[in-house]
Amino acid sequence: MSKYLFLPMGIVFGFILSRAGATTYDFYAKLFLLQDLQLLWVIGTAALVGVIGVFLLKRTRARTLIGKEPISFEGKPYKKTLIGGSVIFGVGWGLAGACPGTALAMLGEGKLGALFTISGILIGTWIYGLLQNDDAKAATG
Amino acid sequence: MTEVIVWSGFIGGLAVGLYGLIQLFVTGKALGVSTGYGNVCGLSCATPYFHSGEYKTNHSWRIWFIVGLPLGGLIAVLTSPGPLVLSFSLGPMYDSIFPAALWAKGLLLTAGGVLMGLGARMSGGCTSGHAIAGLSLLNLPSLLASAGFFVGGLLIANLLFRVIG
Repeated sequence: MSKYLFLPMGIVFGFILSRAGATTYDFYAKLFLLQDLQLLWVIGTAALVGVIGVFLLKRTRARTLIGKEPISFEGKPYKKTLIGGSVIFGVGWGLAGACPGTALAMLGEGKLGALFTISGILIGTWIYGLLQNDDAKAATG
Repeated sequence: MTEVIVWSGFIGGLAVGLYGLIQLFVTGKALGVSTGYGNVCGLSCATPYFHSGEYKTNHSWRIWFIVGLPLGGLIAVLTSPGPLVLSFSLGPMYDSIFPAALWAKGLLLTAGGVLMGLGARMSGGCTSGHAIAGLSLLNLPSLLASAGFFVGGLLIANLLFRVIG
């Protein structure tokens, strides 16, 4: 399967994120202050549609349209840093009023604050990678 | 600041949910964004973590996906009635509590990004991978992570807007 197909797919998803209100800073503040649940509706409805769709894909034993391969429904595994990491993520989410996907779509909308947010996400990701290397070194002595 | 058309949350969620399903059905890849940032790290540094495991092939579909996202945002603006405005404004609420000086505002946004980058790797995904793709699979770790995302957001927003602001 061509990875270049994901360029148009990213364009579609970026467009949808914008229309869903996920590129509007205020919706994040209002979500976490429980003043306007626009984004909770988005996530909730998306998850519900997903659950129904995954059920149908499993039920019909659907194969991928490209490549005709079996579809994996394996979820992300639990790890011991998951709870703490998710709360840390949430603090960043509420502070920057964006998430890793929407910050990129915001940049395309001319919301230049996203430049800082995106740089920060890269730095945070890189810090994690550096710490993992230290752990690996410590473990192997 | 650019003003875009916003659908009702229900319609927006329907579109996001259908998008995730179609991506899974067409390509077999579950929706996710934050691992793509790791691929960018791998393409630009030699840190061993970004050259093993899921980062073995950094020139992945994820890179093209995150290149597409800003273009999608641009098209969303071009198909909205208002003009494209290049601005560092964060909208009325965040602008009312963030410092006006660009360096200070930038520092806070960067800090928010660092926490998201770190937190996404510690929990194994972000709002796309855990909250949308993970909840679709009724995956318990993703449910816990999504709850944690909200707890963090509630904490910081109440601190920013109710305690400090």
